Amino acid sequence: MAEQVDDDLWSAIGDPTRRRMLDLLLIEGAGTATTLGRRLPVTRQAVAKHLAVLDRAGLVHALPAGREKRYRVDEAQLARAAEQLASVGSAWDARLQRIKRIAETIHRTQQDRQD
Amino acid sequence: MELGTIEREIYVDAPPEVVFEVVSSPDHVSRWWPDEARYEPVPGASGEIVFGDPAAGGKVQQLTVVEARPPRTFSFRWTHEPGETAAEGNSLLVTFELTPSGDGTLLRMTETGFREMGWEVAVLERQYAEHVTGWDHFLPRLTRYVATLEVRP
Repeated sequence: MAEQVDDDLWSAIGDPTRRRMLDLLLIEGAGTATTLGRRLPVTRQAVAKHLAVLDRAGLVHALPAGREKRYRVDEAQLARAAEQLASVGSAWDARLQRIKRIAETIHRTQQDRQD
Repeated sequence: MELGTIEREIYVDAPPEVVFEVVSSPDHVSRWWPDEARYEPVPGASGEIVFGDPAAGGKVQQLTVVEARPPRTFSFRWTHEPGETAAEGNSLLVTFELTPSGDGTLLRMTETGFREMGWEVAVLERQYAEHVTGWDHFLPRLTRYVATLEVRP
């Protein structure tokens, strides 16, 4: 179940139009399919579909406002997405430290042999 | 950091020729990453890397070498399904770039493809990370490896 949520989250962030929408929502605080559609080179209908994907992934929340829903970014969920990638980064930090240690040990050993 | 790409840089006090061997040869790779590595370090060659014991919850991953230009560049794709040709969209691309710096080497690593592959892979990577960085897993192997090196006073 948790993995399914993560999958949706990542797919949601995987699309450049949706990332641009998140940017706009963060900058402007909130927005509707109509206000976002004005700022993006896609139709209002396409924006509404993207908003539904972001909503399912928990990255935005809809607030009813008149005839249209207003959307806000869920910053905790966005931070969670960033944190998951950061942990992959820390795995590489550890691997690179081992690469460094192994290479330096080999180099020192070779130098010792030459002396 | 752009979501979907990991970039790291580290200085290694050893010449590029030595560092290239460590990042590319399966014998060395299995000392800093998976438990086993089976592939020829030449462009286009395919093989696999093994994490843990596949009979006991471990995992076998496909690996295809993309570029091998000693002592400057080594890159490979991994995590594609068995039988699939590694390409953008079905695998992660890891690239090592080596630049001479003083008496040593500046080693730059990028891993890209998370965005294209979907979230699940990032989660899997994290599981490997926890598995591989765990001291109970790594320390016995490190000790064993250091013991094989001929160190003189």
